[in-house]
Amino acid sequence: MALKGLDIFKLTPKKNCKECGSPTCMAFAMKVAQGSVSIDKCPHMSAEALATLSESTAPLMKTITVGTGANEHKLGGETVLFRHEKTLVNRNLFAVTLCSCMDDAEIDQKIAEIKKVDYERIGEREYVEFLFLNYAGNGADKYVALVNKAMAADRALVLNCADAEVAKAALEVCKAGKPILNGASKDNLDAMNAVATAAGVTLGVTGADISEIYDNIKALEGKGNKNLIVDCTGKDAKETFANAVLVRRGNLKDQDRTLGYPSIVNLAKIAEGDVHMQTALASAFTLRYGSIIVMEKITYAEALALYGLRQNIFTDPQKPMKVEPGIYALNGADENSVCSLTVDFALTYFLVSGEYERSKCPVNLLITDASGMSVLTAWAAGKFSAGTIKKFFDEADIENKIKSRTLIIPGKVAVMKGEIEAKLPGWNVVVGPMEAVQLVKFIKDFSA
Amino acid sequence: MAFTPKKQAFSAKINAVTLGTGDKSIVIGGENVLPFYTFDAPIANKPRIAVEISDKGLEGCVSDGIKAFYAGCDSVVDMAVKAQSMEGASAICLHFESADPNGENKSVEDCVALAKAVADAVEMPILVMGCKNIEKDAQIFNAVSDALQGKNILVLSAREENYKNVGASAGLAYNQKVGAESAVDINLAKQLNVLLSQLGVPDASVCMNVGSSAAGYGFEYLSSTLDRVKAAALAQSDKQLQMPIVTPVSPETWGVKESMSPEEESPEWGPLDERGIEMEVCTASACLVGGSNLVIMRHPAAVATISKFIDSLM
Amino acid sequence: MAKFITIGERISVTAPAIRRAFEERDPEPILTRCEQQLKAGANYIDVNIGPAESDGEERMQWAVKLLQERFDNVPLALDTSNMKAIEAGIQVYNREKGKPIVNSADAGDRFNRIELAANNDAIVIALCSANGIASDNDERMAHCQRMLEEGLMHGMEAEDLWFDPLFLVVKGMQDKQMEVLEAIKMFTDMGLNSTGGLSNNSNGMPKHIRPIFDSCMLAMAMMQGLTSAIVNPNDQRLMETIKTCDIIKNNNLYADSYLEI
Repeated sequence: MALKGLDIFKLTPKKNCKECGSPTCMAFAMKVAQGSVSIDKCPHMSAEALATLSESTAPLMKTITVGTGANEHKLGGETVLFRHEKTLVNRNLFAVTLCSCMDDAEIDQKIAEIKKVDYERIGEREYVEFLFLNYAGNGADKYVALVNKAMAADRALVLNCADAEVAKAALEVCKAGKPILNGASKDNLDAMNAVATAAGVTLGVTGADISEIYDNIKALEGKGNKNLIVDCTGKDAKETFANAVLVRRGNLKDQDRTLGYPSIVNLAKIAEGDVHMQTALASAFTLRYGSIIVMEKITYAEALALYGLRQNIFTDPQKPMKVEPGIYALNGADENSVCSLTVDFALTYFLVSGEYERSKCPVNLLITDASGMSVLTAWAAGKFSAGTIKKFFDEADIENKIKSRTLIIPGKVAVMKGEIEAKLPGWNVVVGPMEAVQLVKFIKDFSA
Repeated sequence: MAFTPKKQAFSAKINAVTLGTGDKSIVIGGENVLPFYTFDAPIANKPRIAVEISDKGLEGCVSDGIKAFYAGCDSVVDMAVKAQSMEGASAICLHFESADPNGENKSVEDCVALAKAVADAVEMPILVMGCKNIEKDAQIFNAVSDALQGKNILVLSAREENYKNVGASAGLAYNQKVGAESAVDINLAKQLNVLLSQLGVPDASVCMNVGSSAAGYGFEYLSSTLDRVKAAALAQSDKQLQMPIVTPVSPETWGVKESMSPEEESPEWGPLDERGIEMEVCTASACLVGGSNLVIMRHPAAVATISKFIDSLM
Repeated sequence: MAKFITIGERISVTAPAIRRAFEERDPEPILTRCEQQLKAGANYIDVNIGPAESDGEERMQWAVKLLQERFDNVPLALDTSNMKAIEAGIQVYNREKGKPIVNSADAGDRFNRIELAANNDAIVIALCSANGIASDNDERMAHCQRMLEEGLMHGMEAEDLWFDPLFLVVKGMQDKQMEVLEAIKMFTDMGLNSTGGLSNNSNGMPKHIRPIFDSCMLAMAMMQGLTSAIVNPNDQRLMETIKTCDIIKNNNLYADSYLEI
């Protein structure tokens, strides 16, 4: 957000000399705030004031890019605290821990477990994006060995290592992959900063409390390092939540650029081995400002819930989530199974397919392109009409792919029955129920 | 320069609403900060969990964990009594699923008899949830509110179509608490509260159900509605949105594929019970962080986890 | 954004009944008008006791206590040229429902009211004129700047200075109306709060015309960012306009019954 006139006014010499062409400094400040006059029209503005102003035009929160190739990720860059205010930009990412205290077999097994969860949900790949490599203090050799194994796992890396010498050795082998080096704090600030900047990687910084975190960021910025991520993990869940909120709110609401970095929250540390508690906390930090959420493990049970939540929260309110148009064979449907038609709005698809799956009746769910709108909205906008349905049938070659000639349409667009029958000769168009929840009973009765 | 975070406690606050009577009664709401923002100001009353019990008992229940918990229970009343011992439970939510005229169409008299039996057997506050049929729900709420006078129950819910009936009986004649339900429509949420207040139902007798959904199933609408309601209630001091929020979580999360699909259909997903617990935990946590003052849940492991989660952030 | 704030103007010595009530310390006419205004939706109540040079302090304290005790510590604007009376009023003022407003300071003879407000942690209405109406917006903004600096220097928050561009009468100064509206936009661009005696614009017009002008002027001023006004809350058309503008500006959430609340 641009500086308000009042803030600019505070930077002016307040002499009302009129040399800028405005009658007063305040009038000038106002015009600068509006963008109608350039700040350099004032001959008396100090160099610091000009620097402050130019900084104020940069985004409040930095976007940090880590990893390379397919494992490149963007973090931060948010402009609002709540998704309804505008949109959230970069979804939070998940990391799972590995440790230099584990033996080779354990490491291999855990990496294999991590890689099991890798699937697609509405056009998005859902998997563990980061490996979070804990250093257990057992020597650089062990740690470098762990890093080498992790590099072969095809994931972005976070080196969680507060020993600058060991970190340096680890970065020697993996810095090309742009990992994050996490672990800078008051005691090792200079050493860690030197290692991270030499390797050109993002540095994770923390502190004993929010005030010390703030001072440490300031100190690092003072040394010219603005490639940072803030480890908000405190001694327990409460302090971690407070840190995450205070950092983000201090940045976006109170406009303090020192806090303008993405965050790490290490749940493996604060959930104390309670896997369900870890899910509850991960859900909370998905909503409240975790950028990288570190987990002890993520199985399908956690993934299905957490990735579903994340996909919802980080969807752009302006752009509805869509599923691919086409034929979705449910409950073992074949070419002779009845067809049911609906729109490509993701929520509609989930509700309808979910209900049909509960019914256990084989159904070919036909999803037509309706620009991601719901049934009635799409119908009203002309995106779900006999014409668009005919076009979809032709493009998807339904006539040849499916032998059944029964088509169920949503009850809300019962008025289209006649038009569809006219466009699709030979098809028996059946009007389905008004709401998805009535589908189970409907299709059971229908199939009986 | 030491960093002192700016506090954001509001002069407005959420209404405090009491449910139930006696030692086991609970108060929800009363806070003047965003959910779990204890660093801005202390939170007056922690969020609570009500355990959902279907009037069908365990019929249709797919979770081994839930079945195991209620092992030995012969009736819905037994289950309600047992649910009180669930770690983290503060209230019992009796769900009249079988009252639906398009389903089993259980009679109003039978519903009342069950509600009375449960109320006689339990000490915790009671919530009653209808079958989503507007006329039938109004009949059940009227009769149950009458029969349970003095128990200070919460009926879920009065909707746009039946608020007059439900508000006048439950809220006024029988002095119970009324839940006002709007399906993720913040304008309607406010309007319903205005209408109930114009009807004469005191603000301290009203809770809101601003909608519910499972994580992954359009949860963004609910999440943004919760955020907006709390922002209006606290930052804009909107009195018509200062009612505490009650969110039914389990009826949604136990109805989605992730929680219902048997393990043999997708073996890589692992045991059904774990998936159901995680869906319930993930969704309940997200509701609470958004601003629910009470969540309705089913699985004992999920209830225990969310209770621990709440305590860890207070 | 915060909702628009209305300051009810009907307790004023310019009304004969109120003038008599103040002189005789007769509570009824004052309480009646206050109640009417609050029912109609006023947020603040202006208490104009006149210059009251002889008994101002006692008179203001009497009025503040009378109104706040009866109406749940209703927030008040203390309206008099008598500085001692304002200070005396603040001494007995209860802040539970909002800070007191000092009505008013200007960039001329009443400049020291800003310091008075600062010393008493009050809000002050800052009239952007010195001695006579500002000739143009450059002059208005120069006054604004001077008063703002004065307030900040004495430790006030900028948000506690409510700048008044001075609404001008249409019958006579029709060509200046847009300039007033532009001044409001300038306050808004600086993030400042603003207010003003709205009905001045319709002075001298027939009674049935005035609500129309007041409503239109208010809507246009709210578009420019006006954050409050001194108004007659019993003007239903005006109050409906304010409520509707608050909805359109997203200061308040819409509900079908929004006019009734």
